[in-house]
Amino acid sequence: MGFFDFVQQQSGKLLEQTLQHIGLTFISLLLAVLIGVPSGILITRRQKLAGTILGIAGVLQTIPSIALLGFMIPLLGIGAQPAIVALFLYALLPIIRNTYTGIQQVDPTVTDAAVGMGMSKRQLLYKVQLPLAMPVLLAGIRTATVINVGVATLAAYIAAGGLGEFIFGGIALNNTNMILAGAIPAALLAIIFDWLLSLLQKQNLRKAKKGLYILPFLLVGLSAFYLLPAAFGTKLQAGFTPEFMGRKDGNLGLKKTYGLNIRTVVISDMIMYKAIYEKKLDVISGSSTDGRVKAYDLIVLKDDKHIFPPYYAAPIIRQETLDKYPELTSVLNKLSGIINDSIMTELNYRVDYLKQDPAVVAKDFLVTNHLWQPEKHGTKGTIHIGAKIFGDGYILANMYKMLVNGYTDIEAITKTGLGGTKIAFEALSNGQIDLYPEYTGTGLLVLLQASQPTIDSLITDNQKVYDYVAEEFSRKFNIRWLAPIGFNNTYALMMRRQQAATLNITSISDLKNYLVHH
Amino acid sequence: MIQLDNVSKSFGSGKTVVSNVSFTVNEGEIMVLLGTSGSGKTTTLRMINRLTDPSSGSIYVNGTSVTTQQPETLRRGIGYVLQNNGLFPHYTVAENIAIVPELSNWDKKRITDRTAVLMEKLHLAADEYLHVYPHQLSGGQQQRVGLARALAADPPVLLMDEPFGALDPVTRASIRKEFRNLDELRSKTVIIVTHDVQEAFELGTYICLMDKGIVQQVGTPAELLFSPANDFVHAFFEEQRLLLELKALKLTTIRQWLNNTTHENATLNGNNSCWEALEQTTEHDIVTVQFEDKISTINTNALMDAVKQYKHGLL
Repeated sequence: MGFFDFVQQQSGKLLEQTLQHIGLTFISLLLAVLIGVPSGILITRRQKLAGTILGIAGVLQTIPSIALLGFMIPLLGIGAQPAIVALFLYALLPIIRNTYTGIQQVDPTVTDAAVGMGMSKRQLLYKVQLPLAMPVLLAGIRTATVINVGVATLAAYIAAGGLGEFIFGGIALNNTNMILAGAIPAALLAIIFDWLLSLLQKQNLRKAKKGLYILPFLLVGLSAFYLLPAAFGTKLQAGFTPEFMGRKDGNLGLKKTYGLNIRTVVISDMIMYKAIYEKKLDVISGSSTDGRVKAYDLIVLKDDKHIFPPYYAAPIIRQETLDKYPELTSVLNKLSGIINDSIMTELNYRVDYLKQDPAVVAKDFLVTNHLWQPEKHGTKGTIHIGAKIFGDGYILANMYKMLVNGYTDIEAITKTGLGGTKIAFEALSNGQIDLYPEYTGTGLLVLLQASQPTIDSLITDNQKVYDYVAEEFSRKFNIRWLAPIGFNNTYALMMRRQQAATLNITSISDLKNYLVHH
Repeated sequence: MIQLDNVSKSFGSGKTVVSNVSFTVNEGEIMVLLGTSGSGKTTTLRMINRLTDPSSGSIYVNGTSVTTQQPETLRRGIGYVLQNNGLFPHYTVAENIAIVPELSNWDKKRITDRTAVLMEKLHLAADEYLHVYPHQLSGGQQQRVGLARALAADPPVLLMDEPFGALDPVTRASIRKEFRNLDELRSKTVIIVTHDVQEAFELGTYICLMDKGIVQQVGTPAELLFSPANDFVHAFFEEQRLLLELKALKLTTIRQWLNNTTHENATLNGNNSCWEALEQTTEHDIVTVQFEDKISTINTNALMDAVKQYKHGLL
């Protein structure tokens, strides 16, 4: 499917996300202008405060945007509020600084003349300082706008919408068209707004004065976009990851097979569990072995119509590496069949929630199961073991490293924290890593992008899926699937145990029926 | 009328920049504050319109203490001209001139009329310059607009801080001459700050010579030259002494050493300076001067002789 087909097909969603994006950008910008310009004026009058205020705004600017969004969650929860506050904080520095600089740059002879002719402070500000500072002030607003358009993509992590939904969804799903459908409009917005503001800035000085009056209305108008799409909804609130939103075995399947229609926000899986625990969300798209399922006392809703395919984990490895070190097969297969769902959940719980070191958790497990051997410090060669960014991957990668170091003369190095399926698989294909743990379902749906009839014929049977991906990977990518580890980390809809019990919901069909009747 | 009474100014660091300055300037007079940089002359000027507040002493403008008025109200009644003109770059010439009248809520018609009058008096063609911005004008024109702006609301008092300082010598001389001939100034009390001795002699009814914040002497130009109060005053004019003396000395003053003739058609009168007479005698050998009683015919020798006699008489 081409890019334009995708855009056409998703035009409704694209429009909604674009409007949300514009709204987020300009609500925060409006707030930043309302607070920033007066602050800038204040510090021209109280020079002693200038260092402090510019310093604080400067420090805020240096906080990485994703971290700043993270800090906002405990204070403001998820959704629009924390995103707007974070964007507001980013926009503040350029606006305060340029207001301050703009006014400071006004020729002192001119202000001296203005005061000497009998202008009050107010008249001096409105008739002299602001009009003369306007080009510099507008340059600050321009900078802030461009920053905000960019940072607003990250708002998708905390369920605030915007074009980031497509961008992160596309990255998670290995869908370039989707990435571009988010990235191109975001870039265009930045360019267009920058250009429009530059026109305003280049206006001759008299008209710029009028621009001062247009600007607030323009900002309010653009901000209103954000409020439009939020007008409808259901009683329960769902939060799904960008990946889940776009997958056939995710939200699309829920709609098609179950007819589930629920008010949904897009949210990063890093904060999704915390958000449901804090009752900001009622339903989330978790993974069944995640440690936080245990930590936050969530229950998995039964997939009574079988839309979530099996996600059995197994190491996938480059054929080249296997040819070079054939002894790896037996060593890596030592984990096969010994980790089931509840063991994996327990291990993840120790890492995700109890914050234990994945290496320690991995070693404890190997020692308990009499699999651990001291390192041999072999010099036969080096292999790189990768892992995706979440729990399972870190623990498994560490176990494999210890097994390889303990049983062979090969030295293993871990490269964990590969952002998502796309990034991990690219690294494997390019030989930057030699192996990483992958799931059968991901292999089938994301990496092979199997056709719908193929999927339908395989999906209910775990063994069939495994056989299919093993064969196809070997043929297409020259990559081998080793024996499955044993646990099934499938997608699952989850709710708080308490709420599910109160509403009498145990399966996805129950959830659908509840929503239909309430 | 402006009156300063023991005015001093010291800044937070304890540094005194102006100490115990007293003088009075009456309507129709021009007081020149003369001195080198750092002599306190600009600070003295800025205390009059309260851009700086004095540490002690009192200042009266037209009989009212400046501290009893709202600074804004006080300033609107005082014309203010700055060295670098301080024109608003985002205002046209007309808008610049209209600033104080607008602040004082004049009606549109009155502002337009007043602007037209001032433009004409200051030799600025209204149709050409009324709606242009300051950066489109030459330095001399900008300074004229600055002057027009200060005069716009017809304030009784005019303060000028090195008004011609930023201009080239030729432009400066011609604007100074225009300024001297402005009929607007007849009824005003004017204080000019300058470090240019010739400018001080040319414009000042009185000169207040300052050094390190202290007034060295207040008097007419001739008084400062011929009866200096101290060595500083004497030394200050040393370099240009002869020129200044000739410019400061009126022919009336040396009348007693000049002859009488029955000649008619005099070209100068007693109020002209010796310098002006000298300009004529070096050109035409002789000059005829009309005094109250008689007419005198003078050549260069006679003129210089009379000046010498006068100076001897002072010793």
